[in-house]
Amino acid sequence: MKKKLLSCILAAVMALSMVACGGEAAPEAGTTSQSTEKTEVSKEEAAPAADVAATDLEPVTLKMYFHGSNVTDDSAVLDAVNAYLKDKINVTLEPVWGTWGDFDQNAVLSLQGGDDIDIYFTCSWSADEYNKFARDGYWVRLDNPDNNLIAQYGKELWDLLPEVLINGATVNGADGYGVYAIPGYKDIATQNCWDVNVTLLEKYGYTVDDIKNTDYYGFEEILKTVKEGEGADFYPLLVEGAVLERMVDNVTIVTGDSGTGNFMSYYLNPSDLSKPGAYGNKIVNKFATDEFKKFVEQTRKYYEEGFIDPAMGNKTQANDTRTNKQLSGQYLIGTQSYSLGYELQASQERGIHVEMVPCTDAFVDTTSSQGAMMAISTASKNPDRAMMFLNLLNTDPALMTLLNYGVDGIHYNTNADGTITFTDKRADYQPWTNGMGNVTILPPTDAQGVDFWDGFKAYYGTAKEIPILGFAYDGSQTETQMGAVANVVSEYMLSLCTGTVDPAEKLPEFLQKLEDNGINDIIADANSQLDAFMESKGQ
Amino acid sequence: MKRKRKINSISIPAEIACHIVLILFCLLCIVPFIFVVIISITSQDSIRAIGYSFFPKEISMEAYSYVLKLGDQLWRSYFNSFLVTVLGTFLTMLMTILYAYALYRKDFKFRGFFTFWAFFTMLFGGGLAPTYVVCKTVLGLSNSYAAIIVPMLLNPFNIIVMRTFFHSSIPEELIDAAAIDGAGEYRTLFKIIIPISKPGIATVGLLSALAYWNEWFIPMLYVRDAKYYPLQYLLMQMQTKVDFLVKNSSMIGAEASNIISTLPSDALRMALVVLIVVPIACAYPFFQRYIVSGLTIGSVKG
Repeated sequence: MKKKLLSCILAAVMALSMVACGGEAAPEAGTTSQSTEKTEVSKEEAAPAADVAATDLEPVTLKMYFHGSNVTDDSAVLDAVNAYLKDKINVTLEPVWGTWGDFDQNAVLSLQGGDDIDIYFTCSWSADEYNKFARDGYWVRLDNPDNNLIAQYGKELWDLLPEVLINGATVNGADGYGVYAIPGYKDIATQNCWDVNVTLLEKYGYTVDDIKNTDYYGFEEILKTVKEGEGADFYPLLVEGAVLERMVDNVTIVTGDSGTGNFMSYYLNPSDLSKPGAYGNKIVNKFATDEFKKFVEQTRKYYEEGFIDPAMGNKTQANDTRTNKQLSGQYLIGTQSYSLGYELQASQERGIHVEMVPCTDAFVDTTSSQGAMMAISTASKNPDRAMMFLNLLNTDPALMTLLNYGVDGIHYNTNADGTITFTDKRADYQPWTNGMGNVTILPPTDAQGVDFWDGFKAYYGTAKEIPILGFAYDGSQTETQMGAVANVVSEYMLSLCTGTVDPAEKLPEFLQKLEDNGINDIIADANSQLDAFMESKGQ
Repeated sequence: MKRKRKINSISIPAEIACHIVLILFCLLCIVPFIFVVIISITSQDSIRAIGYSFFPKEISMEAYSYVLKLGDQLWRSYFNSFLVTVLGTFLTMLMTILYAYALYRKDFKFRGFFTFWAFFTMLFGGGLAPTYVVCKTVLGLSNSYAAIIVPMLLNPFNIIVMRTFFHSSIPEELIDAAAIDGAGEYRTLFKIIIPISKPGIATVGLLSALAYWNEWFIPMLYVRDAKYYPLQYLLMQMQTKVDFLVKNSSMIGAEASNIISTLPSDALRMALVVLIVVPIACAYPFFQRYIVSGLTIGSVKG
């Protein structure tokens, strides 16, 4: 008797735990909450949407999950923000300050657990990845034809964003091809540059033009001269393996390609970035091209001549070594993913004259256009109010400044020329500036200078979009191969791209292993997805 | 005639060999910690120039003075860690003893079922997301000390250790004797059983105190407010922050290197490790004698 009872319970618990552990139990929760949300919305649609006074709106509390914050005391800011919001849209804001590192795990759990958070930070590189979670139905489609939140509550915001951002945010999600999050207007373009130590360069009688007029394959003479002058311990070429490859071959990463082990490439057209490159609108195996072979052979040559520090080929040392050498100015040419004004900052930090020599014009790809976004959760009970709030946050300089920089007179002081200077109190309240939305409506800081945002808009607002902007690979069909390939890549890529191993021997071995682990399946799958995407984009 | 030797003694070469092995093992345990202490007093310039080394170029107390300047948050976290450890261990012990004692009593009808009930969770966990939902949504655990203490309150392993201890060291006749003397169930447990179970309690107590002291994952999940951060989590946060920024620096842009430069240096992180280890290391010797007797008491009863 007792045994029977026991086995019954055992069976029941096991069945239960299987359901619970099934991992993908979460989307189920997503869809249910979605359907409740829809009925609620249709109820509210009856009311006239636009031009309602704040007092006519029900008071609601919105919870918003930020990323990368360093906030220990937000009381003063929240008092001011909530007083302001009450008059505008009758909303009380409750921010959740996610920090770097914790955010990934917590935001995903909070989403899958159906927490009552209305707005989440999302992007192409954090764990609550925009494209995946849009596909799985966690985000509200904002331009849903049945209930277009953007048209109803977000017009001003939408008119203000550069077109590339809108294109980058338009993806294939659970409710069709549309927009699932509000992209933040930040440093949205990618531009890889040679980071040149001009002080050292001029010591040997060269000028920046000598770098500008040649390319990676023509650096040899300059590197050699400087190496001879500075001695054997000096390594003139300070490279991040993966970035170097992208710079030399003019390729960009494909969003959705497994994290750090990027193995897919899209070849850009360096003369006109909005046109397809050498391989057309196709994704290629990064390592199987002639360009890659030529690149690793040249890099090997530089390595053997002592231009590259062996530490750069060691994953655990590369980053620290690079930072230290940069700060002490012990390099001649480095690699840098550029953001506007970085050369000034770098010159100041390193105490040398730094210039950035771009490899291509600035361009916008999926990854960079989805660098920081705010999505409304399908678990939100007030998606329309959340949209109203996002609209206000992105268009109202007073609110954006308040939430981002703090309270005037406490966290910063305004100068006569309109710039601001941070006070010591800023240390207690530092959200991630660029992670909040449209940063171009912020006042410039004294370090940035009065004209900063004009230059910013001119630089980023005019960056060209690459033809496959908006495409993100969905690896759910090829998960096993993706994992296996990523392992192989992490074994070989860095050492090949920094020249620490001999490509004549290792490259064929690498390619063979990639093939054995099914890279071709992934590439074929990616290309069929890309074709489908280009078709829906073309309409 | 052979030299007389002590009973149980072994030959001299064997003794030397044993000593060497044990000394090496000791070094293996201690050297990393000494290394951490040395790094914590190494100046940042020295780390930059020659990396981590047992013989730094320059000694500096900068990291410790920075830690002290961290001020409120540090002391607050120290306090939280102590509070959570003391309170958590006390509650855990109470629950564990109550559960284990019931399982020990032969006259408890559902003994088998409840043993299995606890044991089952050792084999099958609920998974992260469901656990999170239960704790956060159903139990409403967030932003409080309870959120750190409650999820770890009952550990099946502890229950089984405790039950086995009762079985092996407490004669059942004792309970009968207590009953004849007129003790009720609670008096029997608290006045008779617990005082003679000190070794077992100390063992389980140390295990759970260590678990509470070292826990950072649960605070990470359920605590948002820095007011409640325990020390381990503070350290973990600094570490994950640096790792995350390095990994994603190309996505976050040049801003990442800005943020990294404001984060604590290696020396500071090591200084925090020292601060975390010292209190618990000090507590260890006091518990240790109980642990040895606690674990062996069943086997060498004489």
